[in-house]
Amino acid sequence: MTDVILEKVGKTYLNGFQAIPSVDLSIEEGEFIVLVGPSGCGKSTLLRMVAGLESISSGTLRIRGEHMNNKEPAERDIAMVFQNYALYPHMTVYNNMAYGLKNRGVPKDQIEEKVTDVAQMLGLTELLQRKPGQLSGGQRQRVAMGRAMVRDPTVFLFDEPLSNLDAKLRVQMRVEIRQLQRKLGTTTLYVTHDQVEAMTLADRLVVLNKGKAEQIGTPMELYNTPATPFVAAFIGSPSMNLIDATLTDKGIELPDGLVLPTDTADAHRGAVVWGIRPEHLDVVNESEADFALRIQAVESLGAETLIHGVVGTESVVVRLSGPHLPEINSLMWLHAPKQHWHLFDANTQQRLSV
Amino acid sequence: MIENRPWLTFASHATLLVGIGLVALPVWMALVASTHPASAFGAGHIPLWFGDAGGQTWGNVLFEKAGNGVDTPVFWMMLNSLIMALGITFGKIAISLLSAYAIVFFRFPFRNLCFWIIFMTLMLPVEVRIVPTYEVIANLGLLNSYTGLTLPLIASATATFLFRQCFLSMPGELVEAARIDGAGPWRFFFDILLPLSRTNIAALFVILFIYGWNQYLWPLLITTDDAYYTLVMSIKRMLSVTDGDIAWNQIMATTLLAMLPPVAVVIGMQKLFVKGLVDSEK
Repeated sequence: MTDVILEKVGKTYLNGFQAIPSVDLSIEEGEFIVLVGPSGCGKSTLLRMVAGLESISSGTLRIRGEHMNNKEPAERDIAMVFQNYALYPHMTVYNNMAYGLKNRGVPKDQIEEKVTDVAQMLGLTELLQRKPGQLSGGQRQRVAMGRAMVRDPTVFLFDEPLSNLDAKLRVQMRVEIRQLQRKLGTTTLYVTHDQVEAMTLADRLVVLNKGKAEQIGTPMELYNTPATPFVAAFIGSPSMNLIDATLTDKGIELPDGLVLPTDTADAHRGAVVWGIRPEHLDVVNESEADFALRIQAVESLGAETLIHGVVGTESVVVRLSGPHLPEINSLMWLHAPKQHWHLFDANTQQRLSV
Repeated sequence: MIENRPWLTFASHATLLVGIGLVALPVWMALVASTHPASAFGAGHIPLWFGDAGGQTWGNVLFEKAGNGVDTPVFWMMLNSLIMALGITFGKIAISLLSAYAIVFFRFPFRNLCFWIIFMTLMLPVEVRIVPTYEVIANLGLLNSYTGLTLPLIASATATFLFRQCFLSMPGELVEAARIDGAGPWRFFFDILLPLSRTNIAALFVILFIYGWNQYLWPLLITTDDAYYTLVMSIKRMLSVTDGDIAWNQIMATTLLAMLPPVAVVIGMQKLFVKGLVDSEK
């Protein structure tokens, strides 16, 4: 069953600024959808429109088939976890979690049962009588999730919930959120700017750019076949090497006269963007090489080494597993396997077959 | 202090002691004078230690009549002052809380204009508009009544402004979380806004109580009936005796009694007062 449907949903502010032209998205029951994009791409606005905290300027929003455009947030059967948690500072953890149920007129004994259950699930039982000020960041985050969970809503909305935690806790909470969501089977819409978070959490990703959905798909679809150069650069770390080139009958002509021969079936000729991920470049002998990289900087991370350099005038990053210590300014011969190439039309920004 | 210099400690303590002496001496003299018979002060010497007429003077002043032409006992005037001060305080807090709530959290036409109009009333304290206000109250038949004493002093731009600032600093996500939790405007006001502005309310209570308690001009104008006289205005009346000696002992006792409630409020709410002015829980 489809839980949430966005049909041509758009947002134009009163001052005429169009934050989101039009987004179509349908979310299946129990699905974990991540909205990802750089800051200012409209991902939070979209989430807040689903929550009912921002009005919808055009299009329709349906939750469980019901038209929701003009419903109050409390009537939409959603629960939201905020970036700063937004816990009520004067209430105990118990009351923070119980508040939404109290307002809905749920009987006291049921509230207690639900809150106790959820507190146990999240390991908050000992903290129920504390106030948010006495909790650590991770604990507050859990309370915020607990507050959403006791309501047992149709949809969970997360607005960058992990961005205030330190790196280690973030990884831990990320895993926890994923496990909880699987266990509860609640449809989830999650906003983040962190592509690692997006890749690890999502069933499907929505990459937003300037209010437009560039591509919607599973993390692996987005990694293997990005639809636009924007998605290609955004997904994966370090990001894909993208070089402006020209597609001719000879093949792909890079700006420095280098030609990568190809027998593409695509009829398109002209300006293209050619891309290859840093992890897909192989170090080979000079005889087998497609081109040479002049090394400018080496980042040794132990398990892997990132080598920054230039091919002609284009900067290129290579990612090698294990430690390597090549000399700065020396040459490194590289082979770019054809199955890992990505090719985009420079004008339409659409993906071309290689 | 990190430095440890004995002479510095000595000097600072000495300065403080001199300061306390300067401030407390008049209070001390008032206390001592109230325990001597009326003639002692009039005779030209100022006693520095307690006399033996204390109990009688205080008893008379408090329960029978204040003396010097004022026939109402001090406890009755104290009650009047208290009703007026508390009426003004609670009225001001309630009205300004509500108006600040409307201005900060609701979107309605001319919202900013409303705020600026309220703000402009800062330029119109009672002293400026005293004649028209008196006429309005007189026409409403509110002379010599508690309503007349409190109502014209209730409207408050200062308190509205203070609460507006306090509400503006409330994180927006908190409001949104409450909306998602299904709290309507009243629920949000009572469950979240009010508890969170507790310390601000306390701080304002202290300031406004003292303001209300010290009202002089307005009660003087609109009360002509002894039953509604407030304490502060009566002290002045006790001083204007047309013939005979001024009974300083009674005046001193009355003055000290007039001082007690504000002192009690300040001491009792000191902690909350400081908290309300300097920090916020949010």
